Amino acid sequence: MTSIAKSASPLVSAHGYLDRVIRELQALDSPQKNTLVGVLQYLSDHIRITRDEIGALRTSDGNPQMFSTTADELEEIVTETARAANRIMDAAEAIERTAVEAPASVANKLTEAVTNIYEASAFQDITGQRITKIVRALQSLETKLNSLVCAFGPLGDGEESLAREGDAALLNGPQLEKNASSQTDIDALFDSL
Amino acid sequence: MALKDMRVFIVDDYTTMLRILRNLLRQLDINSVEEANNGDTAYHMLQKQPPDLIISDWNMVPVTGLDLLKKVRSDAKLKHIPFIMVTAESKTENVIAAKQAGVSNYIVKPFNAETLRAKIASVCPAMV
Repeated sequence: MTSIAKSASPLVSAHGYLDRVIRELQALDSPQKNTLVGVLQYLSDHIRITRDEIGALRTSDGNPQMFSTTADELEEIVTETARAANRIMDAAEAIERTAVEAPASVANKLTEAVTNIYEASAFQDITGQRITKIVRALQSLETKLNSLVCAFGPLGDGEESLAREGDAALLNGPQLEKNASSQTDIDALFDSL
Repeated sequence: MALKDMRVFIVDDYTTMLRILRNLLRQLDINSVEEANNGDTAYHMLQKQPPDLIISDWNMVPVTGLDLLKKVRSDAKLKHIPFIMVTAESKTENVIAAKQAGVSNYIVKPFNAETLRAKIASVCPAMV
């Protein structure tokens, strides 16, 4: 039993070994065996239930690719918002070209409005980055779940490879509005360095 | 040199943001604008024709804006060029890392036209 615990064998093998030990103990003619058998049986049952639950989660809607599908749909949102932002800017650029022909007072107001549209169109960049972060999180979850379902190895597998170091660890934006620094904060920090 | 004669190089992996920057720069009378959608392409284009100002996003793959900044600052032909980082990365450690790498100024997204104008003026005072 010790050799199984120390090895990196998949949990499936360990579970089979555990069930075999339970059967061997049950065959023994000893009054002290019942407590140990009960504990081991409890562990075995829980491993079985956990495996079933993970398997059910993976295929709960009959679609084994649910994470990939969700990620694809989110990426489609990025594409659609980019398309919408470009159409908005097509219109804004047309207004800006027309403004040149208008009287100065009108032209200035139109240009100001167009500038506001350009500034607001940055929503696509920000939302795109946020959605991309969600897609990466989903892909990470999917990888871990696949690891559990297919190999039934330790949940921590792959954790180290996902950890980012150095300059890569600096890529965490966009920050949520409540946590984000303002341009004034950035300027103050920048000037203080 | 006036703003209208200024040559600006913009880098962002979102074409929407490139278009926004190009339009806002045009409103500042800056019409000579080159662009790239990743740091690697940008660096190759910069070597061929150094601009008067570089405005770059940070979060791009495979070469990030910070990587590009470091390359520019270690390139004898490019290191003198003002470099503004325009990014959604607003944490203190980001600003420190960018400053240590030699960034000229830092704009946090979303930004407005006045912020862009002010930062260009601060890094290229002779042109404004």
